[in-house]
Amino acid sequence: MIKNLFILIIILYILFIFQTSFLVHFPIKGWVLNFVLIVTILFNILEVPEKNNGILAAAILGFFWDIFSENFIGYHVLILVFSALLIKTILVRYVRIKIFERV
Amino acid sequence: MRLNFLKNKFLLLIIVILVIFFLNSYREGFYQKKIKNFFYSFSLPIQENFWRAGIKISDFFKTISDISNLKKENEELKLKKQELLSRVSELENLKNENESLRSALGLGLEKEFNLVIARVISKDISEDVIEINKGAKDGISKDSPVITGQKILIGKISEVYDNFSKVMLISNKNSSFSAKISGSEVSGAVKGKGNFNIFFDLVSKEEEIILEETIVSSVLGGVFPEGLLVGKIKEVKKSDIETFQQAEISPFLNINDLDQLFIIVDF
Repeated sequence: MIKNLFILIIILYILFIFQTSFLVHFPIKGWVLNFVLIVTILFNILEVPEKNNGILAAAILGFFWDIFSENFIGYHVLILVFSALLIKTILVRYVRIKIFERV
Repeated sequence: MRLNFLKNKFLLLIIVILVIFFLNSYREGFYQKKIKNFFYSFSLPIQENFWRAGIKISDFFKTISDISNLKKENEELKLKKQELLSRVSELENLKNENESLRSALGLGLEKEFNLVIARVISKDISEDVIEINKGAKDGISKDSPVITGQKILIGKISEVYDNFSKVMLISNKNSSFSAKISGSEVSGAVKGKGNFNIFFDLVSKEEEIILEETIVSSVLGGVFPEGLLVGKIKEVKKSDIETFQQAEISPFLNINDLDQLFIIVDF
C-alpha cells in the first residue's frame, strides 16, 4: 500500500514537472494542454467508483499544482478533490454501465 | 453501503480543509513558504533540464516549420538592416551630441542598473507566472523589474523565497503599468490579457497610434524604469462609446527565448 502510494507520488510529481517545465514550450494556438486536469478526470472516471485512488491522485496533483503556482497550498487541492468526489458520486449514484467497473 | 462511502469521502474533505486552514493561518503562511521552498530546491535540477530540453525541441520544430518562410524573411531582414544602419549612424551622432551637452552642463552619467542574473526553471500552468532560480539570498526583493539581455521587459517579481522567486509576466491579467510609444509623447497603460497577450489602454482619442510603432515602459507609474522594450502595435481599436482608445500589442516577450534573465535590483 505504502509502496504503491510512493510510486503514485513519484509518477505524478514527474508528470507535474513535465507539465510546468517542458510542455509550456508547445502551446497549441496559445493554449497549453493541461495534463493535470486530464489525468485527474480520466483516473476518476476509469477507476472502480468505490475505490479511493482517484481522490488521492487528485489531492496529490492539487498539492503539486499549489506548490508550483502563486496560490496558497490547498486551493487546487480543494478544487481537484471536490471534482474527483463529484465524478465518483455521479458514477456511484447514477451510472450503471459495466465499462466503469473493469479497473 | 453507499451512504458509508459518501460519509467517508465527506470526512476526508473536512480533514483536507482543516489542514489547509492550519497551513495558511499559522504564522502568516510560514509553513507554506517553507514547504514551497523545499520543493523548489528539490526540483531545480530536473526543472532546469526539462526547460532546456523544451526550448531545444520546440526550436527544432519551429525551424522545420519556418523553412518555407526563410527566403522571404531573409530579404525583409536585409532591407531592415539597411534602415537600421542608417538609423544607428543618426543615433551615434545624437549620442555624441548628448554626451557633450551633459558634460557641458555637469550632469554626469546616468546611474546604471544594478543587475542580478537568473535562469528560468518553470511556468505556472494556469497563470502567466514563471519561476527563476534566484531568491532573497541573492538580494532579490518583491516588485523588482525583470528584463532580458536585449532590454525586453518581462515582468516583475511577485513572490520571493530564499532561493527562488516568482515573476509575474507583463501578460498576466493582474499586470498593469504605464508605457508610451517610443519617440513620441503618446502614453497610456499596458495591461495583460493572459496567454502572453497584452494591450495598450487608456490612450487619449486625440492621439494617433500608428501600426508597428514600438511601445516602451515609462517611468510615470514608478513600477519600471524608462525605455524598456514592451512590444509593437498590432491593431488599433477606436470606439465612439469608449472614452479612450485601445491597441493590441504584439509583445517582444517570447516564452521560448526565456532562458537567462536579469533582475534590476536598483534603479
